[in-house]
Amino acid sequence: MSIRIRKFIFLKLLWLAYISPVSATPEFKIEIKNHLFYPAELTVPSNTKIKLRIFNRDSTPEEFESYELNREKVIMGNSQTVIFIGPLKPGEYPYFGEFHPKTAQGKIIAK
Amino acid sequence: MQKTNNYLRAIASNIIVLVIFSANLLLTSNAIADGITIDKVYHPYVQPLERELEFRWLNYDDDKSSNNQAYRLGLGKSFATNWFAEAYIIGEKNNINNDSTISAYELEAIWQLTEQGEYSADWGLLFEIERQTDQSIWEGSTTLLIEREWGRTIGTANLTLGVEAGSDIDSELETAAAMQVRYRYSRALEPALELYVSSSTLGLGPVLMGENRFGNRKKLHWEFGIIAGLSDKTPNATLRALAEYEF
Repeated sequence: MSIRIRKFIFLKLLWLAYISPVSATPEFKIEIKNHLFYPAELTVPSNTKIKLRIFNRDSTPEEFESYELNREKVIMGNSQTVIFIGPLKPGEYPYFGEFHPKTAQGKIIAK
Repeated sequence: MQKTNNYLRAIASNIIVLVIFSANLLLTSNAIADGITIDKVYHPYVQPLERELEFRWLNYDDDKSSNNQAYRLGLGKSFATNWFAEAYIIGEKNNINNDSTISAYELEAIWQLTEQGEYSADWGLLFEIERQTDQSIWEGSTTLLIEREWGRTIGTANLTLGVEAGSDIDSELETAAAMQVRYRYSRALEPALELYVSSSTLGLGPVLMGENRFGNRKKLHWEFGIIAGLSDKTPNATLRALAEYEF
């Protein structure tokens, strides 16, 4: 491999290595009770990274899953977790609970 | 505090692996790796309660590799909120004489370091150890897994530092990189472009992947790609396929 290609890869790696912490991320809460999400619809600011704190009040695990949000996260029973999403363009982003997909459904609305 | 710890862990592992890997990649002019490093691109995420059965297949179109096909069967399970382990049986098949052999066993573990989306990139580490069946050769490696999201486009990099040891081989360090740019078109179909680089491999090619769901946490993830060799040491074309059944 030529030195030029190696330098190109090296610079790409340095760029990928850059980390910036999320500061002052707005936080929103969602609860899981009886295999339902509360609130089922949550409005959040668009074009802003946000933190979702999800409380699972049930004794069984649930999985927050959304292809539209590119997120998938298991929340064990009687515990909580944090999911970072966005910045989102204005629109609606459905999600569901993979353990109870018929009842556990919701959407994030970015405005 | 958790966020700060994750941040510091990510930075520390990043610096160590990147410095070693980059120095080796930039300064080493002699080929030190033995095999073709086209395989798959790992992602830095782990799900609790995850179990999977995995099959991978590679086919090389010419005789630059000693065997023309390689395949592996793995069974994996997460054993903590941010750790996942998988055991593999690795086989090879020579297309000329049709000889198939089980060539190695491998254990791997993925450690998710940061929450997805928490920082500008997501970080994880992959640890692998492999034992050849017919020779006294051990291979161990650590891979830094980095993923970054730009809307529907996802960029992933795997940076590997490995070592080979045993009575049948001279100990040596190996480095490799695998990179993937993927467009999240739909759950069923995502196109991607993958690049594989090591001292014995330079390959680039398109990959298609998708996911089919079968209800209650059962799903099949599949990948199929054609990686073109861009150096004399790399096969002209490598077909790669993968199927992961999560249950």
